[in-house]
Amino acid sequence: MSRKPTIAITGVGDSGPYQRVDDRSLFEMVVESSRAAIADAGLKPSDVDGILGGSGGPTDELASAIGIVNRRFSASPNASAGGASVGGAQLAQLAIDAGLARHVLNPYGIKLSGANNAYSFHARDPHKADLEMPVGFYGQPVYFALWAQAYKAKYGLREETLGEIAVACRKWAQLTPGSQATAALSMEDYLASPMISTPLKIRDCCLNTDGSASYVMSRLEDARAMKNKPVVVAGIALSAMPVTLGEVFTQNEDMLETAARQSAALAYAQSGVGPQDLDFAEIYDCFTASFLIQLEDLGICGRGEGGDFLKGGTMAPGGSFPMNTHGGHLSNGYVPGANHVVEAVRQLRGERGAAQVKDAEVGLVAGLAGNEHATMILTVDR
Amino acid sequence: MGRPVHKPRYDTNLMRPYWTALSKGHIELPACSECGAWQWYPLDIPRCHSKAKLEWKGVPSTGTVFAATVVHRCLLPGDHKDEAPYTNALVELDGVNGPRLVVLLEEFADPEKAAGTRVKLKSAKVDGLALPVFVPA
Repeated sequence: MSRKPTIAITGVGDSGPYQRVDDRSLFEMVVESSRAAIADAGLKPSDVDGILGGSGGPTDELASAIGIVNRRFSASPNASAGGASVGGAQLAQLAIDAGLARHVLNPYGIKLSGANNAYSFHARDPHKADLEMPVGFYGQPVYFALWAQAYKAKYGLREETLGEIAVACRKWAQLTPGSQATAALSMEDYLASPMISTPLKIRDCCLNTDGSASYVMSRLEDARAMKNKPVVVAGIALSAMPVTLGEVFTQNEDMLETAARQSAALAYAQSGVGPQDLDFAEIYDCFTASFLIQLEDLGICGRGEGGDFLKGGTMAPGGSFPMNTHGGHLSNGYVPGANHVVEAVRQLRGERGAAQVKDAEVGLVAGLAGNEHATMILTVDR
Repeated sequence: MGRPVHKPRYDTNLMRPYWTALSKGHIELPACSECGAWQWYPLDIPRCHSKAKLEWKGVPSTGTVFAATVVHRCLLPGDHKDEAPYTNALVELDGVNGPRLVVLLEEFADPEKAAGTRVKLKSAKVDGLALPVFVPA
């Protein structure tokens, strides 16, 4: 079932240091990261003929502001968060394979300061407004706390297991220019951080970020003649659970599995790569608990074995299996899934200096979107 | 322990029967008028039979806790500082296969150990609204 790869990521860019409050508008930040990604690919905006839409503003206005004047392909992923930022590559691959476009931009951004806080997206859901909010069940930390509690009831869950994830992410962020949270965070600091919704403490929750990260995909044959070493998209899959986003936090059958189980199986099959072949992984860490469950869904360790696997700094700098090597959403910034893609590309190009994973050739990016999930396998050109 | 104060918004009338039943001290859930399958959360049309309607049916007000979390910081819009901590839980009602209610759990010595515990509905009004509050059975 493995398929010959046809596209590569040829350019990545971001809006500059991630911050709690960036005075620029979402639109400005997305234009900035998009231009940076296009320049990084060694292209001019007029060379880019495809654009994915969704998070930064109306596609025509974005394209116009970026300078994409030869637009021949536009599409929006029918998913949010990691489903769009990671899963969007699936649409680019379709377009490039079909000859509809040569260079496709996936722009992504978020602005959580100002009118739209992280929770307000969910407040629009009538089921949440009428069945959940009246009993105070509201906000992603509370939703994901129940995932953690369901996990705890089935497999057991030590505070220190979640702490390993938070502490490792902070160490990676300290090695990454532009990270939002770089103050020292020890296990003791983690354990003492205020409880939000048991068992999740404030340090189990991702940051609130204003920022943008974008990337350009091109035909693999073209990429070989372009500015950077091509980063090959060896597998890209999107999958969905049989429950809606409105239902996934309460009505999902066992809450111990995400759609990552399926998307990973598909992406591994496409690429001919298995979890044992990975040199590193960037996993959507909106919360430590959702990182843990995806880790197991992705087959990086067995069901219920995450605690043992992570113990002793496994994923931290110098550990045996580096993960979230920029600091993740917990410490680098919450640019849902998009900064994970950018980081994986920089690792595979060997550009990460003190945070470089030695001999990195195969990486995985996992993008959660509630009931949906995208897995991307990236490799060096081999 | 506190209780959050937040009224349903009622963009539609779809969820009103749930609250009407609670105000009378019992629980009703929507089922397909054709085959009786539960449709929870309620939708305009049942997933199983698109020509059918939703029928609200009385169900037992006892059940089992699936999972519970103690909310120390209430994240509802507005100022709810003094309403936390409280315990949110998912409850599976006796004889009702599939649906889970999102409820408040009270009178537990250690709500962290509530999963798997038998519970029953307790009448509890907050600001005129009868909330689904469950206590040990």
